[in-house]
Amino acid sequence: MDALLTDAFLSSLLTGAIVAAIPILLAGLGEQMSEKAGVLNIGIEGMMLMGAYIGFLVAFETHSIWLGFLGGILGGMMVSAIMAFLCVRLGLNQIVIGIGLTIGAEGLTALLHHFQFSRTYPRLPAPVRVDVPGLTDLPVIGSSLFGRHPIVYLALLGMIVLALLYRRTNLGMTLRAAGEKPSALDVAGGSVGRLRVAAVMFTGAMAGLGGAYLANIGAGLFLPFMTGGAGFIGIVLAMLARGRPLWVLIGALIFGAALSLTTALQVAGSNIPTDVIQMLPFAAVMLVLVLFGRRAKLPAALGIAYERGAR
Amino acid sequence: MKTFILSSTIGALMLSGAAIAADVDTIAILTPEQGSDYGWNQQGVDAAKAAAAATGVELIIAEGLGYGDVRAPMRELAAEGADLMLAHASGYNTAGPEIAEETGVPVAIVDTPDGLKLGLVADYTLSGHEGAYLAGRLAAKMTTTGTVGIVVSGEPPSWNSQSAGFAEGVKAENPEVKVLYSVIGPAAYSDAAGGNRVTTSVIAAGADIIFGQGNGSSFGMIQAVENNKATDGSDVLFIDVIGDKSDLDQGHLLTSVVWDMTPVYTAMIEDLRADTFGSHGYAIGLADDSVKLLKTPQMDDAVWAEIMALREQIVAGDITIEPIFDAEDVRALVTLAE
Repeated sequence: MDALLTDAFLSSLLTGAIVAAIPILLAGLGEQMSEKAGVLNIGIEGMMLMGAYIGFLVAFETHSIWLGFLGGILGGMMVSAIMAFLCVRLGLNQIVIGIGLTIGAEGLTALLHHFQFSRTYPRLPAPVRVDVPGLTDLPVIGSSLFGRHPIVYLALLGMIVLALLYRRTNLGMTLRAAGEKPSALDVAGGSVGRLRVAAVMFTGAMAGLGGAYLANIGAGLFLPFMTGGAGFIGIVLAMLARGRPLWVLIGALIFGAALSLTTALQVAGSNIPTDVIQMLPFAAVMLVLVLFGRRAKLPAALGIAYERGAR
Repeated sequence: MKTFILSSTIGALMLSGAAIAADVDTIAILTPEQGSDYGWNQQGVDAAKAAAAATGVELIIAEGLGYGDVRAPMRELAAEGADLMLAHASGYNTAGPEIAEETGVPVAIVDTPDGLKLGLVADYTLSGHEGAYLAGRLAAKMTTTGTVGIVVSGEPPSWNSQSAGFAEGVKAENPEVKVLYSVIGPAAYSDAAGGNRVTTSVIAAGADIIFGQGNGSSFGMIQAVENNKATDGSDVLFIDVIGDKSDLDQGHLLTSVVWDMTPVYTAMIEDLRADTFGSHGYAIGLADDSVKLLKTPQMDDAVWAEIMALREQIVAGDITIEPIFDAEDVRALVTLAE
């Protein structure tokens, strides 16, 4: 056991927690924006998968991980554009469309992967890491927290920007109005439809970026179904976060840490049955749900299509 | 007249019974992922093709069906005239027997040795434990850190027996070598990011040779092996199972425990024709090369010769390795004693 308490092992666990948390953080932040505007975006898993596929494809073809991230954003937005058209413009059921988009994206990306990569399984090189001067050399946490790919720092910066947007700007208030009382926003001269479309597109961009991170940084390759429910975890975190981006970050880190803990317990030779260990991340989510689920406050008009003049 | 009708009916029934026993024109295989994964799915599809060719039957391939409910495609295959369906995923072992009962078409399932039903349901819970034992002996010979790792994306019986075989091989070669063990997730077969994450941690804990069983997630493990150095600075090596990934190798593939399921599927077709389908299970092993180790440039000829000598001892019965299918028993073998 003592042999495992090394800097290298503990550092790898911390790194694993962050690598697992970032895609969920990005998806959760995107979902939060959509929910604030009143659109329940169940299709986020499909947006992540499309982002993962296109993000990997672009990164592989251009040898640029940044272009890969851009491709991931566009991939996620492609799926979210369908969601916006069907659910915001046509007012169709958001849950049904969201599930349909996820299944469709799963099938399409698996098919495309089969024709393009299933004979070669190409892999990207190890991602470049950027060290924060003076902090990277700290034992254990140094390289894990301060020696990451820049996209990690950008994700954290994005979280702060969103928190400021929601609390300090008129746009944040307008978003809340679209989710709480869209008719009031309409009467005040705001466009509920445009705002919701923009929010859904932003969700697609964030989910697509999360998927691209998963493929390009987390795995270094694309595989069908590789998101494995990360989008759904993001939805849960967004709902529990009560509109606060910081809480999405905390939830994502708890989930990522729980995932890393499962590895640590197994490698350390714990006598706890594997099945119990494997339940930990999901048990953590359940525990958070039990503790904070009742306090989860969702927008009043969430999931309800807005039709001007309708009573 | 009555006697004529009765005897004709009995005769027709006897003829049709004989026809059912002998009449296997078409078989079908259902796989959760595409048959191009250099692993479980590809070996299944390739073996089904070879068995079909060897026995003169048509083959229908239904691949990429996912890990969910396959009742609908199974009904379609039955309607298309399949005389045998190979349900090639442990996740299909609930739907398979149900559809066999419903349609009357025999189904072969995996990881359910107790699920046999004469003429209707057979099980092929295969185990490459003999090959995994050899891989363990090889790993223990070649490790420079004194620690090797097992990373799996799930704990189906077939993989448990190989994990156990590998651990037994390591201990038989050198009891001082540590064997670390980690499961990525409950059924993380396509979780490449998880494979990468867990393998990176196992390497950081000291392992310089990874025995990986993962379907799609294996590619995440390979990515971690390629991108990380062992704690002593040496290159990390990877031992694969079931398929042959040497086409994709970038100098880190030590070997693979390669399966050939052709004899199993061929025997199933012959059993159907002999009316013995569902009366027994099937096995693969070193003796007929349905399990074998892959030779790669990462091992020298002397080590390979030693491993092949051990193989001969296993085939001759001088060394016996019992399959261990239970996950708890695997953990007892690999858990650190400190």
